[in-house]
Amino acid sequence: MNPSSRIPGALGVAASTIGGFFAAFSSHDYAEHLDRQLHGTHCSFLPGITGADAGENACSAAMYSPYSALFKDKLWGGLPISLFALGSFAFFFAMSLYLLLGTTRVSRAAKTAHFIATLAPALVSIVMLVISLTKLGQVCKLCAGIYFSSALLLASGITALLSRRGSGVAKPAKTVSDTDRTQADPEPWHQKKDEAPVADAPAGSMFVAVGLLALLGVATVMPAVVYASTLPDYTSRIVSCGTLTLPTVDDAKKSPFVKVTTASPVQPATTIEDPLCPTCRAFHQRLVADGVYDQLDMRVLVFPLDADCNWLLQGRTLHPGACVLAKAVLCAEGRGNARAVLDWSYDNQDELTAAGKQGKAELGEKVKQRFPELETCMASKETEKRLDEVFHFAAENKIRVLTPQLYLGDTRVCDEDTDMGLRYAITKLAPKVK
Amino acid sequence: MKMAHVVASLSGVALLGSAMVFVEHDVRAAKHRLDEPTVTPEPAQQAAVADYTEASYCTPQFKSVLARVVDACGLSGQEARRGCEPVDVKTFASITDEDFNALFDPLVKRGAILLFDDNSDKLDDDAKKLIADSWDDRKGAHYFFIVSRASKTGGADYNRALSQRRANSVFLELEGQTKEEGLEKKVGMLWLGSEYAQLSKDYCGTWKHTHPSKPCNAEAINRSSFISWVDCRL
Repeated sequence: MNPSSRIPGALGVAASTIGGFFAAFSSHDYAEHLDRQLHGTHCSFLPGITGADAGENACSAAMYSPYSALFKDKLWGGLPISLFALGSFAFFFAMSLYLLLGTTRVSRAAKTAHFIATLAPALVSIVMLVISLTKLGQVCKLCAGIYFSSALLLASGITALLSRRGSGVAKPAKTVSDTDRTQADPEPWHQKKDEAPVADAPAGSMFVAVGLLALLGVATVMPAVVYASTLPDYTSRIVSCGTLTLPTVDDAKKSPFVKVTTASPVQPATTIEDPLCPTCRAFHQRLVADGVYDQLDMRVLVFPLDADCNWLLQGRTLHPGACVLAKAVLCAEGRGNARAVLDWSYDNQDELTAAGKQGKAELGEKVKQRFPELETCMASKETEKRLDEVFHFAAENKIRVLTPQLYLGDTRVCDEDTDMGLRYAITKLAPKVK
Repeated sequence: MKMAHVVASLSGVALLGSAMVFVEHDVRAAKHRLDEPTVTPEPAQQAAVADYTEASYCTPQFKSVLARVVDACGLSGQEARRGCEPVDVKTFASITDEDFNALFDPLVKRGAILLFDDNSDKLDDDAKKLIADSWDDRKGAHYFFIVSRASKTGGADYNRALSQRRANSVFLELEGQTKEEGLEKKVGMLWLGSEYAQLSKDYCGTWKHTHPSKPCNAEAINRSSFISWVDCRL
């Protein structure tokens, strides 16, 4: 490629403009949530043109996942990765503009540095894409925009690399007929061009290359530095949701709690969950993905939001069929596989929810197929009574009719801290959890 | 060349500066919203706190009876003697016999009447089964009532003691069946003897009782213990 080519610069300007645009929206969406409220996300290939989407989508799933930010244990919500993208795209815009305007005068060292620099966003994008596909099972559109821009930047880097050297020697002149020459134009264009040798780009200093890469580093972290230095102090807020001493019940058969076995429990914890509640599923999966779940000495108050058994709802069912799954979890405890039933419920929640809407017999059949050993216990009067104890326990202890809830020891983790700020809240409230 | 340097550098600095201002503004705005929230959730949107059921029959008058049974007659566990006797009820209810009985009428589908043989405090099998069924039908109720009576046959003192024994029989049966700790904090006992709030024979036909196939009259329906969960909060 000719050193005078404007392709690397043009590609780079386009890529960094598009990438910066997506990174800015992603950072904005993240920062909006710092007020601990629920907000929509601009989950679109044309963010800003379409409005923010409320509710769950691929972008909110990515945002709440442990992979969306760094230092989540040190800062509430952590430092979103999109901030680093924002800074680096600003650098790449300037660098690409330089390539575009400087053309042949841009040194080979600078072009090499540009190529090396473009590897960084490309590699990060590949890693994040793999995480999105394997861990989250979906790719958010804003993220996809950044991945695309990174790929375009890499193309800019590769073309810059290829354009470092000219042809070096003049090509032989094409044989042209004298009839092409005229008095007005004695040297036709096709002869003139081919005669001139294409020179290499100037070598340039490697210090320049190193300096450019250092600049990339500085530009990349600057927005994150500003973000971190402006963050509110959440220390007092995360303990503002009260404490509640939930009594222990010695008789396991009457206890409303289900003991869930975890790998290395270091922190007593209680959750209030409904196996058919989508928020509980997301919360459960966040705890598992964060590596927190297995460090909790966990007991679960299975709290189905299904008026079929839950009289606290006064007839307003939110998750039909949840009583069936709650009984399954209670029964599974005796066999030491309550967690298996919970995990299965969450992993197959969509299918089980659909079955629950058809009727509890349909849902019961699915449980029976997967856990046939629980059938007798689930049908027993004792299990029905034990489940009823859950609701009486809730009434006795004035527990909020809400799922999910997490208590670390006696301290209730605020609902606002169960998504983006979860890791931070756990670090503060349960320092033993690593 | 110099121009390219300058333009690129300036645009880079401007862009990075703008990005930082943008980030700083967003975070500060969130901080402001955090400090001074503009949206406070409506009470209806806030999650309810779990509590026991409050049925429509929990009128102030009913609750005052309930409260006295809970506080003054030992249900709270602070009194040496458990249960209310006729003199207590007469004092705190301050209503006529009919009005007192009418307080319990809304429990017609919730409650049941255990009938005893003449001069007996022994529960038969039907009564034991009805106790078990009634207890299991708790739902969201907090308190369980036992209201025992005696027929007018015999003296007032004797009947008072008989009705107390009947109430105790039901309580002991419950203890045996449920083996529940803290049962005394849930179960309120009243014994009315034959001197207060006698049931009319109409209750034979309207209330679930243990001897549906036997003749029932005003005497028989008062040789009884009325049991029911009560869906009221205090």
